[in-house]
Amino acid sequence: MSLATQEAPMAAGELADLVGSATRLYEDLELKAVRDWKANDPARRAIGFLPVYVPREVIHAAGALPVGIMGGGDQIEIVRGDSYFQSYICHLPRSVIELAVSGRLGALDGFVFPSICDVIRNLSGMFKVLMAEKWVHYLDLPQNFDRASGGKFYRHEMATIANGVSALTGIEVTNERLRDSIRLYNENRRALADLQALRVQSPWLVPATEYYLLLRASYLLPPEAHTQMVRDYMRLSRTSQRHAQDNIRVMVRGAFCEQPPLGLLRTLERAGCYLVDDDFVLGARFIPEPLPEDGDPWQALIDGFLYKSLPTASKYDVNATKEAEVVQRARDVRADGVLLIAPSFCDPALLDQPMLARALDKAGIPYTSFKYAEDTGQFQVIREQAGTFADAIKLWGTK
Amino acid sequence: MAITAGIDVGSGAVKVAVMNIDDCRETLSAHYLERIRRRDVMEVVEESLAAALRDAGLRRDQLDYIATTGDGDVIPWRTGHFYGMTTHSRGALYLVPESRAAVDIGALHTRAMRFDPSGRVLQYQMTSQCASGSGQFLENISRYLGISIDEIGPLSLSATDPEKCSSICAVLAETDVINMVSRGISTPNILRGIHNSMALRVAGLLRAIKVEGTILLTGGLARDTGLSAAIADKLKEGGGAGVSLATHELSVQAGAIGAAIWGAFRHGKLAKQQEATRGIT
Repeated sequence: MSLATQEAPMAAGELADLVGSATRLYEDLELKAVRDWKANDPARRAIGFLPVYVPREVIHAAGALPVGIMGGGDQIEIVRGDSYFQSYICHLPRSVIELAVSGRLGALDGFVFPSICDVIRNLSGMFKVLMAEKWVHYLDLPQNFDRASGGKFYRHEMATIANGVSALTGIEVTNERLRDSIRLYNENRRALADLQALRVQSPWLVPATEYYLLLRASYLLPPEAHTQMVRDYMRLSRTSQRHAQDNIRVMVRGAFCEQPPLGLLRTLERAGCYLVDDDFVLGARFIPEPLPEDGDPWQALIDGFLYKSLPTASKYDVNATKEAEVVQRARDVRADGVLLIAPSFCDPALLDQPMLARALDKAGIPYTSFKYAEDTGQFQVIREQAGTFADAIKLWGTK
Repeated sequence: MAITAGIDVGSGAVKVAVMNIDDCRETLSAHYLERIRRRDVMEVVEESLAAALRDAGLRRDQLDYIATTGDGDVIPWRTGHFYGMTTHSRGALYLVPESRAAVDIGALHTRAMRFDPSGRVLQYQMTSQCASGSGQFLENISRYLGISIDEIGPLSLSATDPEKCSSICAVLAETDVINMVSRGISTPNILRGIHNSMALRVAGLLRAIKVEGTILLTGGLARDTGLSAAIADKLKEGGGAGVSLATHELSVQAGAIGAAIWGAFRHGKLAKQQEATRGIT
């Protein structure tokens, strides 16, 4: 079959509506969706969390809605946020401060800041001062990956979160409730894994922007609603008239915290790259496999984090698995090349880059690297770089 | 054998090339150029492809690969997209086989590239986002001077005492031109002054990529005889021994031609991959 004779891809109305809903959630910096959810029951509470990973099951089991705070992207102008930070740090904390001081996070009743880097740690301190009337917790994720020490520590950390949220909702986190939450999030994990599989198999059915919007929706919707959204998307996408183009398949690494703007994803696809794997919104699939739904649910979460979570720059990599993972993953998803991207001034991502580059070099997998910020608006240079990278692979099989 | 179309969507015009390619021959079956003139780009693309196919006596469903370049990445029904450097290099090689470098001077950008005998880009440089030294800039100037674009080259060649003009900024250059007009400088001398300033930038780009041998001018301004003469002069002034500048009547189609050729290459490669997959299964 000739690729050239295929018709223009026309999104069916239903698919366009679904993507439109996800887009509205992405653009919802005022957290209207959360306000609406809370308005249905005045007793409802919502807890905001920063990237990369928090055990959302615990917050959910305490009767609250976990809501991801991913910054303002390219949608807000930073007016006051800049005055809180020095110039040589990434953009995310500035826009988070801007969201906070402009009242956009008012729908949230508490905040969890997981350990990522020093900047986010400091941000948690600022929130404690700025939001003195709200519950703010800095989640120190374990750096010892054994049950006896890291596991014990993490159990205590999760209990602190459970108690903090329970104090707001009046709902105790029982084992039964936590198992129910794990069950719901497992369904979500399965749906996201199926979506990823579809993307690897037929990347033209799952454009990068739509995949990304679906991931972002998982940080605003209750898990069961998001699972339904993902399942609906896959059904509609499979029956759409979208056809393959002669693009290269690329994997993206380095966007686990501050997120790239949608324009950047569009630019990469337009430059001839199908994104078949990435670490965007990583917390939504940090533990990709479903967790045990019986037995001790706390232990299930502990083991999930210690033994099943993905390697990433913000997690201590005691067994040096990142290098092997990036190579193996690129092979698994049949990536022709890798884009090592990083937010400007992101120490974890930039420190990992040389190590990942060396591993890719050794494996003979082409890669290229560039930096971005969540509010990057000019993509010409990235377009050129991605375009020449795609051409080099398509025509000569190298970078 | 593959029948392919290359579509080069520029800032000012859409260029289409239809090619018939087999192992030993690359034949240009038809080519078409349509200026966009503030119309919907997709309409212009559809119209241009239809015209080129009509000239080639082909239907769209007979095309094995539709390759886009330039801003053609907005075309959703393309088979594949190639970057401008890649396509202009390959197109230059098709038009002038001995060329080893090309300068693409379009409506908004100027890009210089050096390539090997297979068309692989070895090095490139381009102007920044400033519009100075671009076709759009020259078009604005021709409007101020009340002449048509086609008159620019011949008038520039008739200059006797070219006036100096800013080579840095389009805004300053436009101010320069207004001053020149008010000072009574003749139109040929103004135009040659502008061409000289543009040529200075082009020569700088070419020196930066260390060109040797034949350089082909491509893009919309390749047809501007005044500009090509000015570039040739600047290269000579810079001690450009072993460097020669070439133009071709189809230079403006270089991107579209290159895209069509690379499209045929990819078509063959994909067919081989499909065969190999069938063999395995």
